[in-house]
Order: sequence, then structure tokens, then C-alpha cells
Amino acid sequence: MAASRGAVVLRRAAGSLPVLALFRRLFWAQAAPAASLLRLQRPLLRMFSTETEPDVSAEPVVFDAKSRFKEKPWKYLETEEYIERYGNKPVWFGYRRNHKGPIPPQKTRKTCIRGNKIAGNPCPICRDEKLLVDYRNVKLLEQFMSPHSGVILHPMDTGVCRKQHKRLVQAIDQARDHGLLSFPVPLVMLQDEDYTNQHQAVAKTPPAPTLKSQAPWYSWYEWQQPPEKEITKIRRMYKDYLKEETGPP
Amino acid sequence: MAALGVSGCLWRRAAAPLTVQCTAVLGSRARGPGAGWKKAARKISGVRQPCFTDEAVQSLLSQMTGLDLQKVFRPVKQELKPPTYKLMTEKQLEEATGKAIQKAKEILKMPPVLSERAPIDDVLAEDRILEGTETVRYVFTDLTYSTPHRERFIVVREPSGVLRKATWEERDRMIQVYFPREGRKVVPPALFKDENLMTALHEGRYEDILNLCIAQFEPDSASYIRIHHRTYEEIDKCAKYDLLRSTRHFGGMVWYLVNKKRTDGLLIDMIQRNLLNDATCLINLYHMLHPDCQSAKTAKEQEVYGVDLIKIFMKTESQKVGYIELALQAYQETQASSAAL
Repeated sequence: MAASRGAVVLRRAAGSLPVLALFRRLFWAQAAPAASLLRLQRPLLRMFSTETEPDVSAEPVVFDAKSRFKEKPWKYLETEEYIERYGNKPVWFGYRRNHKGPIPPQKTRKTCIRGNKIAGNPCPICRDEKLLVDYRNVKLLEQFMSPHSGVILHPMDTGVCRKQHKRLVQAIDQARDHGLLSFPVPLVMLQDEDYTNQHQAVAKTPPAPTLKSQAPWYSWYEWQQPPEKEITKIRRMYKDYLKEETGPP
Repeated sequence: MAALGVSGCLWRRAAAPLTVQCTAVLGSRARGPGAGWKKAARKISGVRQPCFTDEAVQSLLSQMTGLDLQKVFRPVKQELKPPTYKLMTEKQLEEATGKAIQKAKEILKMPPVLSERAPIDDVLAEDRILEGTETVRYVFTDLTYSTPHRERFIVVREPSGVLRKATWEERDRMIQVYFPREGRKVVPPALFKDENLMTALHEGRYEDILNLCIAQFEPDSASYIRIHHRTYEEIDKCAKYDLLRSTRHFGGMVWYLVNKKRTDGLLIDMIQRNLLNDATCLINLYHMLHPDCQSAKTAKEQEVYGVDLIKIFMKTESQKVGYIELALQAYQETQASSAAL
């Protein structure tokens, strides 16, 4: 019933609405008919009705699950939801990539999420939007490193897409930088060096006399009165063109 | 860089007139280890104060550090490979142990303890004509491969036209950019900022922090000294001296604590672990550095050794007399019971 009325309305509105918009909406209607027709109905009905505009705030409020953990990404790993879903196994445990044949391609997919679209069978990090790859949630980062050798696991083992793997590597690097993750420190043997700092390059050089006396660095920084002979010579040369004399600049 | 530095400046002697000035002035700067290098003396009350690099001091510190081969060569978290097995005779085993001890002594060589370097702020020229021509500073670095880094000229041209020598931080950064050193980064890691440093210290990773600090900073830079002092304070607070035993940082820590006259915690720790020799070494070092204190004079007059020395020290110099007494009592009881057995 609603569908037929919608179709009638569409045909009537064919002349009034711009053509391109209509085409787009028709294609849209094919993808998700009910929602688009409902949305079409409201503005068109509004055009023909004498009612006042309804409140625009009746839009559905989308609960942003990710922003809860943006400040403290490690909190998600302590929630019941996480424990129910993963237990005490790493996040990538049990994930299997889909590929033809026994040997998987040696590179995982470039990224699971392009724009709004998510690929089929997304990787362990992309499939759970509350898992945030951040240098502060060390527990998540440690799941992607070998506990014995401290080596970062290859995406072939964990199944993450290449973009997330790159972000993981950067986060692990940052965490090591901030001292949140331990790593084998290189033992730097200090060679016997001269620490006296007596060489001119690093010791005190006495300042130049002009600096101390506050005189200008180059003498020509300040106005130097030229000798009288030169002035008279130039005056004689240009005596036909001399205007009124002004003072020195 | 290290190999090239050998010919240049390993055993550097300053020019003759400069050495005279160096020793006359309070040469607390010049404490680099080097055979040809004149050891600067801090003259306090006419008696020569011992330096960190003196043989007597170094021998005491290395005795206290100890040499635990199991700890020095403990396995590190790294890429795993299958283990190798060797069949050796007794003689070969002894030779291998000797080599390991030699290698361990090299690893346990103490990093230098220096005072903070004087800041560089010399203006070489002022060209006011260049004012307003540029919006950025330019750093000019001399890139001659054979000059030692401490003799390299690095100057900065400010947008105001002033040509000045680069500060120590700028120098270190530029030298790391052009002559990168292993383990050192151009921008120091965020670990060395106060908040992150405190978190890491609370976890107890003292050795890692100190090793990273040595890799990153020069021994006479302000950051190096600040981080080391902070670490030593934390260790003293938590009384976790054993974590640094058999590492190259133990000597520096003991030197710091003895200079600050805060040896009580360390003394208690040594007595509790039955290291009486180390305790006597510590007290001897204390007397060397503070010859005017009460216990030093008493010890010199009476020539005491072992437990009696500790008792004299405890009565005159320490603040935690009760704890040291208790520890000594416990030690003597264990000695008595083991002797009885």
C-alpha cells in the first residue's frame, strides 16, 4: 500500500523535481526501497500540506560506541563484552582469511575499510570498531608481538590488513619510545673521549671588540660624512642640476 | 667515528699554557678517563679530593660491583635461534671462563661521571644588514670527517643577522643528523620526559633506562646527569640496590650516594646479603671522600676492621642506626649458628 502510493507520488512529482535528483533517487530506491520511499514521502507530503514544519531533531541519535574508548582505549579490554567475545586469547585467534587454494597470498589485503564500505570477512582489528590501535593500550599491542622474542608478528600470522599492520607497528614504536613497552636496549660502550671542552669550537671565545664597545659591526652601518673634497668635486660636476640642499639621510 | 677518533683525540693533551690554567681553576669539569690526561684536583681545605677516576676509588667501586657472570651474560629477549652445544675439556672450560671474565670486565667498565658542561652562548658576528631577509635560522656545520665532534665548528645565523655558536643541544642534534651513532636518536625518546620517566622507574627498569640514557646523551649533558640522579634517588627510596649489582652503573650510584652522604640503605642491604667486604669497602670510600668526619678520624686512630668499623660508622655518621644494628645482629647470629653447625 505504501509502496503503490509512493510510486504514484513519484510519477506526479516527476515534473516538479529536477531530473538528475530523481534518477539518483530511483537508483537509491532499488538498493533500499522502504527507507528511501519513506524519506521521499515526507518532503513531498510537506509540500502539499498546510501543516507547520515538524521538528528536525526527530533524527535517530547514533550512539558512537568508539568515542567511549577514545580517551582510554585500554578500558575496552577490561569490559565484559571483550572477555565474552575473546576470552583470554589474542584478538586474532581463530581468524581465518578467505582465499583460493591451500596457500594464502603472501600479502594480506591492503585495507578492510574503504570510505564507508567494509570488505567481507574484515581483519581482526577492523571487525571490532571498539578496538583502537593506540600507543597507550599496551595489552592490545602485546597481543601482536611474540612473548618470547619480542618480535612483531607478521600479518600472515595474525591476518590483519596492511593498513592496520602499519598502524600497529607505529603504535608499538611509539609505546617503546614512551617507555610503556620494554625492548632489548643496545649496549653502547663509551670510547675514551676528551671531555675537557677546551677547543675553540666549544669553549668561550672572547667577543669581538666592536661587540663589546657597542660600535656598529661594519663602519658603513652608520652614516659616514664623506670628505669635503669629494663633496665639492661632485657639486661642481652637477652644478647645473643641483636642487635645494637637504641634510644627510 | 670511534676508530677515526683514535688518532685524533684518544689520549689528548691540552696545549701547555692551557693545562696550567686548567688545574689552577676549579677543574671540576675535566674528569674524563684518559692516561695522558691531567686529573683535575678539587682543592678543599688544602687536601687533594679523590676523583671518580682514581685507581683507589675505581678498585673499591669495582669490588663492590662484583662480577656475576650469570647476570652479565643473561639471555636477552631477542630473535630465537637453536642453541649450540660445545664439548670441552677442563682446560678449555677454564680458558673459556677466563675469556668470559675478560669480556665481562670490559662490559662492566664504568661510564664517566662528569659535572655539567658550561653552556655555549658566544656571538661571533652581528650583520644587521641581513635583518628581515630571512624568516628562519640557518645552521652551518663543519662536516670534515676527521675532526673529533668536540672540535667541530657549528654556528647558527639568526634571522636578525646575528652569527652565534650553536648551543650544546643543537650541536648534539646536528652531529647525530650528519654522523649518526648507533642507539642514538635525533630527537630524544619521550621516555626521558618526567612523567614517562617516573612510570618507567616505578616499574623498576633501572638498568634499561640508564643504558638508554648512556646511548642517547653525552656524559656531561644536563639530561644525562638529571636522569642518572633521578634513577639513583628512586633506587635509594625503594632500596633495590641489587638490581644494579654486576652492572656498569653500580659504581656511579655508589659514588653519588657517598657524595650525598646517604649510604645507610646501601649498607643495610649489603649486611643483609652477607657482603661484609663490600660494606667495609663502602665505609673506606666514605672516609676517603669525607676525611673530616668523625668516624674517619676514629678509624684512622684506632685502625679497626670489619664489624667494628661498621659499628663506629653506624654510631657517628648514619641516620638509621636502629636498622643497621638489627641487620648486624641478624648477621652475627647467622654467623654464630653456622659456626656452631
